[in-house]
Amino acid sequence: MNAHAIAGLVALNLWLLGVGIAVLFALRGWRSWGELVRLSGVAYIVGVAVNGVVWVWELVVGIDLGLAEIFVTGLAIAVLASLAGYRLGRRLPPRGGWPPVARLSALGAVFGSLIAVYLEALFRSGRLGGLYEFDAWAFWVPKAKAIYFFGGFDHQFFRELINQSYPPLVPALQAAAFHFMGAPDVVTVRLQYWFLFAGFVGAVLGLLSGRVNALFLWPPLLFVLVTPNLVGHALQAQADFPLDEFFAIAALLVALWLMERRDWQLVAASLLLAAAMMTKREGYAFAASVVIAALIVTWRERRAAWPKLVAAGVVAAAATVPWRIFLGVRHLSSGGPELSGTGLLSHGDRAWPSLRLALSTLFDYDLWLVVVPLGLVAVAAAFAAGARRLPAYVALVYVFMVAAFAYGTWAFPSLGFSRNPALNPIVRLTGGFILLTLVLVPLLLSRAWRGRQAPALGLERVVE
Amino acid sequence: MNVASRVSRLSVAQLGVVLVVLVSSVFGLVYFVKALTRLNDVATANDTLSFSDREIAAGNSIVVDQQAAYQARALIPHSESYRVVTGETVKDATPLTLPFVESWYRYFLMPRRPAADARWIVCYACDVSKLGGPYSVIWRDKNGISIGRLR
Repeated sequence: MNAHAIAGLVALNLWLLGVGIAVLFALRGWRSWGELVRLSGVAYIVGVAVNGVVWVWELVVGIDLGLAEIFVTGLAIAVLASLAGYRLGRRLPPRGGWPPVARLSALGAVFGSLIAVYLEALFRSGRLGGLYEFDAWAFWVPKAKAIYFFGGFDHQFFRELINQSYPPLVPALQAAAFHFMGAPDVVTVRLQYWFLFAGFVGAVLGLLSGRVNALFLWPPLLFVLVTPNLVGHALQAQADFPLDEFFAIAALLVALWLMERRDWQLVAASLLLAAAMMTKREGYAFAASVVIAALIVTWRERRAAWPKLVAAGVVAAAATVPWRIFLGVRHLSSGGPELSGTGLLSHGDRAWPSLRLALSTLFDYDLWLVVVPLGLVAVAAAFAAGARRLPAYVALVYVFMVAAFAYGTWAFPSLGFSRNPALNPIVRLTGGFILLTLVLVPLLLSRAWRGRQAPALGLERVVE
Repeated sequence: MNVASRVSRLSVAQLGVVLVVLVSSVFGLVYFVKALTRLNDVATANDTLSFSDREIAAGNSIVVDQQAAYQARALIPHSESYRVVTGETVKDATPLTLPFVESWYRYFLMPRRPAADARWIVCYACDVSKLGGPYSVIWRDKNGISIGRLR
């Protein structure tokens, strides 16, 4: 059963990759097949995001999520994206002569091998793991089972299960996994998170290899992957790491757009931010952090940059409107904070302990080693090298995210000032900050190393 | 040129870069070994579990008796509704049993629907006189858990 289920997951994720490749064709195309291989992680993450968002829209309007619907939806997205790409002038490269994907340095070979071994070990650890996390069996997987068994958002289960307002992209993805596995296999479904995680790693490598020196990419990548909290929780059947993965790649794409101004980067970021907001409510705060930080650092070019940034943010937020309307129509909880306005002020004594909890969690060695201090050193080094826009962007996103973490405890008096996941989700929330650091540190290091002689784009070489 | 003179030529920013690369390399390699050990331990532990231990997972600290869960799934038809009724004296119950047993069965027994007036009963040492009718026990264990239906 397990091998059959794994084969089903492989098929689902190849399908998502295929749809993502079509979307990538519309977004930017590729000049060689090697370039497509390099960007296959990006295509996969975008494929998951686009399919996931459309599945949720379909479920909201009452279209069941069965195997046929999954195939038709993916096919429709792929055809539309291919036509759009063709209209935009994209063409496939010649068939012959696959150029090498990239010249792999000795350092890349060593660290790449270590990361491959790590991913294999992560796969084995998740292959036969049960659902132990409360949120997983209490509502994430039950919502997925409800979609699998009843097709849509079953009235009874989506009313009775806790956390009604949590966006349903992850349950929809899990339900799709159940269909491809042939049964609601709650053991093997954990491996869907492995595919997401491996796709995330591939996306980071695809976007940064060629842009930054291998020395600035591989060691920080391995370092973050082996942090204790990530090792222990990357495959939890919840929505936290999918949110973090969508968000981190989106933040990286926005950072690249700030330096390179290639519109596809912003469009792809918008798709991923939409998926982040459809994954967890915290996605709204994370997306706002990225967009507002980008708006601030482009103040001097606001006439050219702001309309695009605002459009990216608005389109991403608009993608979540159907779900919000659905909550209203069904009279389900909208999931707002327990405190707002004067309520926050009357609980002002919670502000400082909330901020302290957020910061102490980020700097907790047993959770995240020294990822955050190194991220801050990288920001400072980039500033010291004369860079402004990139380190300012990263610093602002950091500040906004810390503020969001603090608000998340302050505005919910039912949450204790504790890192115990049963009392406060702060540890899970900070994963987004850590993956953000992972994807942006290589850019910061690259910029800092080049110093004041850095080219305008501040990159090793632009590969597109 | 020796290392010391090379280092002395680096700017503050470049020293910061060297620091980040060095620290992340050392930590990455050291914790890579720890991560592999941990992941291998988890894989081995999962491998030694029985199929039911894996499938019930968190329920092992809630349901008291795995057979109760499997019997409920075997006996209650997909199209029927059920209710979990709890009492106070389940033998070998954990502190998690009474607070969470109902929600755990909701997850485990899907697509069967929980309903307040269901004829099928998953009884955790419940007071059968309050079930609303004559209770016909189909399966029971020594902990005081039974599964049956109202006649």
